Amino acid sequence: MGESGGYSEKDLIRMIRKWVPRERVPKRVKVKDTSDFFRVDYDDVVVLDSVPYFVRNNEREGRFGIDDEQKFWVKRARNLLTGDVKILKWVFRERFEARIGDLVFDCVRSPQKEARILELVSGKPAFMQGKTVLDTAGNQLRILDYIRGKTLGQAALELGSGHEDYFHNHFPELLREFIVLVEAIRFLHDHHEKHGDIRRDHIIKDDTTGHYRWIDFDFNYRHGESRFGYDLFGLGNVLLFLTGRGDVTTYRLLREDPEAFDRLSEDDVNIVFQNRVNNLKKIYPYIPEKLNRVLMHFAISAPLYYEETRELLDDLGEAREELKAGSWEVKKLGR
Amino acid sequence: MENQAESPVKDKHLLIAVDESDSSRRAVLYVADFLGGFPGFRVSLLSIIPEPEQDFYETEAELKAWVEEKIGKANKMLEHYRTILIQSGFPEEKVRFRACVGEPKSLSDAILEIRCDLTCCTVVVGRQHKTRTEEFLFGSTSNRLVHEAKNCAIWVVE
Repeated sequence: MGESGGYSEKDLIRMIRKWVPRERVPKRVKVKDTSDFFRVDYDDVVVLDSVPYFVRNNEREGRFGIDDEQKFWVKRARNLLTGDVKILKWVFRERFEARIGDLVFDCVRSPQKEARILELVSGKPAFMQGKTVLDTAGNQLRILDYIRGKTLGQAALELGSGHEDYFHNHFPELLREFIVLVEAIRFLHDHHEKHGDIRRDHIIKDDTTGHYRWIDFDFNYRHGESRFGYDLFGLGNVLLFLTGRGDVTTYRLLREDPEAFDRLSEDDVNIVFQNRVNNLKKIYPYIPEKLNRVLMHFAISAPLYYEETRELLDDLGEAREELKAGSWEVKKLGR
Repeated sequence: MENQAESPVKDKHLLIAVDESDSSRRAVLYVADFLGGFPGFRVSLLSIIPEPEQDFYETEAELKAWVEEKIGKANKMLEHYRTILIQSGFPEEKVRFRACVGEPKSLSDAILEIRCDLTCCTVVVGRQHKTRTEEFLFGSTSNRLVHEAKNCAIWVVE
């Protein structure tokens, strides 16, 4: 059968016509070997597990100020049998050193890790779904369900007319959803797995289900005494962003609210990103104490750190109860 | 007066957990200086190679080679520390060492488990000077030992 998987060019073009606009249907299609992702281009077809996929663009990712780098090993494609949009992720190994502040540590991009986690989280709604097949060179190629939707960061910034409106009317639901996401990470940790790259743009609100899903599990980092500390740090950053309706930086405060800036001390900033304010209660006094205390676990002055996701979840549960009680009081006062 | 058989006094057994750092070397030198030559003490030197994560290695063979290299280096280091302790006055038969590969648990938990198995009364570690960021993200073995240890003493050597 070879690369074409038994499909003639005519068959493939007929299938393509079913799923893409007329002006996008190519005159010719080539079925490409899957062993080299650089040779697989837009409008090519690859056959995986006897299913033809019509390849579209390379996916992109912004990271650490570098916007939209192309990821040549990750391509969007359409399943020509069902019309479903998929993400095809080829094997691309990368070992590198990550830098956080002054700290340098080993990281790896591991297709086998992602394949393992996909199997672990199969059917779980808080995670992207997919399966692993072998390319013609015997490498693990992941076929992921494309999630149409906004990232958590994008979704949060669109809510509310200002911080107070956002916090009273939208944040409680966001916090509930965030807790579900943290429980999902706890599931990974309970199975000795890390997410490895927790960021708000690795959380997508699935337009189909309305719920958030984690994506991109292929990173791993060399942990020390605390296996999950870096994952927990990521969760803290996401919570800080959600609570502040964006990152509240010292620079922004100095420009927009110098009085609030004057209330801060050096103890109030993030332990790693010291331009970010963790003590948000000093900026927004209506933030309840228990929630603020969770944020302060990630501040430079924190005497104790979370070691396990369970500890964070316990505190978030209490913070959520206090928030609910507080909103009832706010409603009683008729605000 | 009846003759009573003398009951042997049990040695105090110390467990020194070491790695390649300077702080571990300081911990060994401290024990050598403090207790070398005094009767009633024995030492177990322990080096735990952190659990190798398979994701960092493309093949089993690569992982195995990494483990073998690490165990080889650890044994060499432990042999050297054993010599230091013997030269300070510890009898040869009272200084042992062991290198092992960690399992999916924290280093501190692994050390405390071995301490229990060997019935050591004291665990000695060197204090690593980590930045707050590093301690926050990756934890501190000596801090965790101090918080989690039960039924033993923890010496953290500066």
